[in-house]
Amino acid sequence: MRTDRILSGIALALFLLVPAGASAQQSEAAGKCMVCHKEKSPGLYQQWANGAHAAHNVTCIDCHGANKGDADAFMHEGAQIATLVTPKDCGRCHEKEAAEVQASHHATAGQILDSNDAYLAHVAAGEPVAMTGCENCHGSKVQIDPNSPNKLSKKSWPNSGIGRINPDGSLGSCNACHTRHAFDKAQARQPEACGKCHLGPDHPQKEIYEESKHGNTYFTNVDKMNLEDDEWVVGVDYFIAPTCATCHMSATQNQKPTHDVGQRIAWTLRPPVSKTLENAPAKRENMKDVCVACHGATFADGHFYQYDAVVRLYNDKFAKPSTELMKMIKDKKLLENPAAFSNDIEWTYWELWHHEGRRARHGAAMMGPDYTWWHGMYEVAQHFYFKLIPQAQELNDPEVNAWIDKLLREDPMHSWLYQETGKLKEGIKTGDMQKIYDKLFSETIK
Amino acid sequence: MLDRYFRFVRAVSINRIGLLGVALTTASFITFLLLELARLLGVVTQAYVGLISYMAFPAIFILGLLLIPIGWKRAQQQTGLSGQDLLDAKFGEDDTRKGFFGSRVVLSIGAMTLMNLLILVVATSRMLHFMEEPNFCGTACHTVMNPEWVTYQESPHARVACVDCHVGEGVEALIDSKLSGLRQIMAVVSNSYERPIPTPVHNLRPARETCERCHWPDKFYGQRLKTIAHFAEDEKSTPEYTTLALKIDSGRRGEVSGIHWHVAEDNEVRYLAANETRTKMAWVEVRQADGSYKRYTNRRIAASGDSAEASGPATAGHEADAVRTLDCIDCHNRATHIYEEADDAVDHRIERGLLDRSLPFLRREAVAAISGSYSSREQAEAGIKSHIENFYRRNHPDVARTESPKIDQAVAVLQDTYQRNIHPQMRIEWGTYRSHLGHKGGGGCFRCHDPALQAEDGSTISADCTLCHSILAQDSPAAFAYLGEADSTSRDFRMHEYLKAEFLSYSRK
Repeated sequence: MRTDRILSGIALALFLLVPAGASAQQSEAAGKCMVCHKEKSPGLYQQWANGAHAAHNVTCIDCHGANKGDADAFMHEGAQIATLVTPKDCGRCHEKEAAEVQASHHATAGQILDSNDAYLAHVAAGEPVAMTGCENCHGSKVQIDPNSPNKLSKKSWPNSGIGRINPDGSLGSCNACHTRHAFDKAQARQPEACGKCHLGPDHPQKEIYEESKHGNTYFTNVDKMNLEDDEWVVGVDYFIAPTCATCHMSATQNQKPTHDVGQRIAWTLRPPVSKTLENAPAKRENMKDVCVACHGATFADGHFYQYDAVVRLYNDKFAKPSTELMKMIKDKKLLENPAAFSNDIEWTYWELWHHEGRRARHGAAMMGPDYTWWHGMYEVAQHFYFKLIPQAQELNDPEVNAWIDKLLREDPMHSWLYQETGKLKEGIKTGDMQKIYDKLFSETIK
Repeated sequence: MLDRYFRFVRAVSINRIGLLGVALTTASFITFLLLELARLLGVVTQAYVGLISYMAFPAIFILGLLLIPIGWKRAQQQTGLSGQDLLDAKFGEDDTRKGFFGSRVVLSIGAMTLMNLLILVVATSRMLHFMEEPNFCGTACHTVMNPEWVTYQESPHARVACVDCHVGEGVEALIDSKLSGLRQIMAVVSNSYERPIPTPVHNLRPARETCERCHWPDKFYGQRLKTIAHFAEDEKSTPEYTTLALKIDSGRRGEVSGIHWHVAEDNEVRYLAANETRTKMAWVEVRQADGSYKRYTNRRIAASGDSAEASGPATAGHEADAVRTLDCIDCHNRATHIYEEADDAVDHRIERGLLDRSLPFLRREAVAAISGSYSSREQAEAGIKSHIENFYRRNHPDVARTESPKIDQAVAVLQDTYQRNIHPQMRIEWGTYRSHLGHKGGGGCFRCHDPALQAEDGSTISADCTLCHSILAQDSPAAFAYLGEADSTSRDFRMHEYLKAEFLSYSRK
């Protein structure tokens, strides 16, 4: 920890020397930018002036200065600049952070253009919504327009999505979280920073957090969070509650902060059927390391024991069968219309995994009971039994119907449909019903 | 002699009509003389008295004169006598006897007529002269002109007569202005004039003819220092200074160029405004060395005319009429009738020592007091008084007790500030008439020096802050803050260094 500080001190000193030694022209430009922007965009100027960049004499031109050959460079009042500041620009000083971001799942968010989400927005809605809806969070490829005053096409600017595809080849946009022009670490550490995108019917992380004990403790004690602290080590520099950043990114006594947000995540809860990620056990240990700053180890173990079982339950009981069913229907070309999402049943299946299915999994992951059950698995079950299955049966394919019949009658998780209520209640009382689900529980993750 | 005059008058007053004529003429002449004497002695100053003495009395005077021959004619009809008979009947033989130049009667009438003409010429010239006095313009149409009169009297042009700027020279301008005055009287009588009076005034004389009689472009050179004091809304109303060294050169060929480049002999700038008040430009053109014009088009205003902005003068057909060549008035649109903004008004008065900022939160409360919404001037006076007095009574009772003279003074000054700027009867409120000087709130210079105005080659009109002024302080604690040594730990250290160097290098040019 100490050597870290010393090293970063040296780095900072070196960095400060560089602009001091830079050409007089550069220094003059720095002052000149400030003169006008203080007057013309006083809010922007004040955000900067009250932030850490100003305190360390990092000025407009240090980030917005461009080289003549850059695709997005343009002349502005005598200086070659670019509007766009990319992780590559930020990485000139924040090297470690920029590298972590490039390696993270966040950096891939711009590739949404090839995913179902973007297909749906483009066909069911239209391009304006793809831009303002999907791409506003995910980011999109920055298009160059030579006629635009800042060389950026209005169809891709503003564009501060976290997976923005930049003309310099870098991915992402640091200000997606570190809101410009304050770039305040305290702001980025608060759940609102993540809540711009991680919310809503398909991934209500923000709402789940607010519902959870973590969230409600945070919101009632936000003034005790020591958010401005440099190191911000959980359990040391603050102890009231964790924020999104605490668990997924920030420092613990054993871990350095990371901008690769996937380093503590063992499952992917995004796709129709959840899978464990590469190095899942190590990532799980990273996360437990955060928990134990405030909780006992058995408490943390117990949480993951329960959470993992929910994910497996969702996978085995609903996700895998419905995915298999949809594949069978598509392979046999039973649907009326050819295009994806042009048939009712496709929307049913989509919402089953993309909306309620994720809500159930995220709810369990972050201790939001209402999202786990009522907004989550309850709706998964209802839509599986009384929407997806009947819509499949309406296709009147003997093979499909036989498959459904076999699943519902022979799988012990589903066969309750054909039994008497009294007997089922008896089974719950004796524990026989619960035994069906024993296989879902495990101390470990692979 | 006097006897003969009276006899003549008696004879002329042949009947009641004639008598009335003589009475009116004589009475109006005497009153005119008395009033004129009173005005010359300064006993009477009201413009309305001037209106009566210069317009009503000459009219009555002429009416009286006309009545005399009418009476005479009437007497002829009634008595059936000829003119000669009547003359004989009314005058003695001495008077009617024909001499070398005619009879005495004829001579008397001739002499009297000459005198009357003389009186009328004097009265008319006095009338015209009177109507050229600012006092006439400012107070004759009291309600309508009062706001302009009030602001004019405090303006830098308070000693320049209204007509010097508003009415041209020569007979044509005189007739124009009298006809326009007649239309205005009709508007006042029929109560159909606009409130507030709209600007810009379309038939103003060309500014270059009026303004440049005193302010000719060759005179604009060098830098003009201007320090603007603002006061913060804290307890001490802490002063903050912005000091500009305005580069006012007219930029004659080969010399340093500055703000008055726009009106220098070799340069021409013309524009098409996108709205009536000329706060938005559809395009701006600058004449090039080869005589062609380089056009900067506002890309924020749709060229097709389909937006609301583009309707009005920018619509294609009217373009030729609406294009204006930039002159003094396009920037100095409020050179005389200057209305203040509430915050500036308070700042000025604190700076001049009229408001005492030792009173806590004076600046904040003063602006709030005069910015309130009041339905009449009386209500405003009461409202301002109660705002200030209640504030100190409730929040600083000790100050209210010990500093009441300062508080009373503040109330009086603020009431006066309000009355000077706000005129409910003409619907003039804060911000009704904005100045185009500078660029407060994004107007003024920034109407054209706007990156949205783009030429075909992609170039824009420079909006560089140091193009028109060096900046020696900007909301700084001292009036020449940036002339001092820059503090390398300060957050705007780079800006400080740049501004100091910019000023010094420009000054050395």
